[in-house]
Amino acid sequence: MKKIADTKPAAQPRPDLIAIRKTCDAEGTGLSHYVLMDKQVKR
Amino acid sequence: MSVAARTPVEGGSARSPLSPVDIGHATHVAVVEPDTAFWGLVRKDLLAETLAGGQLLDTFHANADGFRQEMDLLRFGLKPSAVYFNPTERCNLNCTYCYIPERMRHDGKHMDRATLLDALDRLHRYFRGHMPEGRLPQVIFHGAEPLLNRDAVFAGIEAYADRFRFGVQTNATLLDDSAVKFLVGHGIGIGLSLDGPSPEVADRTRRNWAGAGAGAYDHVIRAIERLDGYPGYNVICTMTTENLAHLDEMVAFLHARRVPACMLNVTRCTLPGARVVRGEDDAVADAYLAALETTHRLYRETGRKLVVANFANILIAILAPTARRLMCDISPCGGGRSFFALAPDGDLYPCSEFIGLPAFSGGNLFRQPVAEVLDSPAFRLVSGRKVEDVEGCNTCAIRHFCGSPCPAEAHEMNGGMNQKGAFCRFYERQVHYALRLIADGRHDDFLWDGWDEGTVPTCMIGGA
Repeated sequence: MKKIADTKPAAQPRPDLIAIRKTCDAEGTGLSHYVLMDKQVKR
Repeated sequence: MSVAARTPVEGGSARSPLSPVDIGHATHVAVVEPDTAFWGLVRKDLLAETLAGGQLLDTFHANADGFRQEMDLLRFGLKPSAVYFNPTERCNLNCTYCYIPERMRHDGKHMDRATLLDALDRLHRYFRGHMPEGRLPQVIFHGAEPLLNRDAVFAGIEAYADRFRFGVQTNATLLDDSAVKFLVGHGIGIGLSLDGPSPEVADRTRRNWAGAGAGAYDHVIRAIERLDGYPGYNVICTMTTENLAHLDEMVAFLHARRVPACMLNVTRCTLPGARVVRGEDDAVADAYLAALETTHRLYRETGRKLVVANFANILIAILAPTARRLMCDISPCGGGRSFFALAPDGDLYPCSEFIGLPAFSGGNLFRQPVAEVLDSPAFRLVSGRKVEDVEGCNTCAIRHFCGSPCPAEAHEMNGGMNQKGAFCRFYERQVHYALRLIADGRHDDFLWDGWDEGTVPTCMIGGA
């Protein structure tokens, strides 16, 4: 697989202010005893 | 860390709704409005003016009502969409930290096939009453070891494949070729449990009844080989004193075997046996964060991700609170409100963690409507546990990124529902790390591709 260039984040200037929030219909489902699949496995 | 999350940093304004949180970043500090889980990351020298006014506060005030409604719906408005279904009390392993009492695992009963099918029918009828069109409820066969009752489980999957999304969490000892063929053929999610990259480490905690040195490692490796290329499987590793030194090696091991996702879970300390191998918070956090960095390095080197799902869930809780999948890290937790657990005798519990604690049985699937059980005092004790009522959490700025897990261990280990759980400092460091990744613009590397499909931005400042 193709190697991705390391971005070295500290070397890149970051915005003075960062704030991100997204929303969707809440479907929160399970507990950490099982990894919930984000999508149904295709049969 | 120079400043605790729950303590405002110097320069904070008593009138600002935003609480500064030192996340240990070189250039940025977090500011959080705790009740709505609204946050920003601001250059440290601009903190005072950010708290006084400007774009971030304007954005907050313009959207605050919507953010509150969003959190209220997430915290109090959900109905169950999943069941952790224990088809047997028995297990062929005797893992150190198991939350199911040894007596049940050793001498317990199976749910017979007819009863299991009856249970699925009752669950189907319950979920049909409130699940939206086109969305299937999830049934996760869990344990104890569910494949000890394989015939009944597989019959249930066959009969109800069009009415539930099924998953199985297994120790892999019985996951032979035919079982894999059946589960993969039906598109079933498969979770494996493995605690180390070698039998010497893995079998310290996950061992059979004969004792240490006779565990499940070899079985899990064969299962991983059988499942290679199947996108619907994953591995759960429980972090204990027995494997912390090997966690970094563990994620490299899983990545090398192309495991698509894993979880690195803390030991839930509900039962005393688990507390014996409980790692100290900072030791767990050190090993965990180092392992996360290793997954990132491997992604950069290979272009292939090993998503650590429990950490991804924390990141998502910060970036898009309603998009989270796992409901341990929100308050009230999902126990008894977005999922519940079914024991082989039909008794219902808010969460698998409570199976083995009879006082937390809210009723029985075969004798009462599920809705009545959800409203029982036992369930209300869990579903009513709010972080605002937990001493020390009620003033913490990051309380809705952590949720003060877990009610079972708070109750059993620390003396009540209004106590903290076992890993406060670990969760705090995890949240700080997640915010540092966002400050560095690295967070997408830790999330599965397409994680935000179906989401809509409500705030996007400097993070595009």
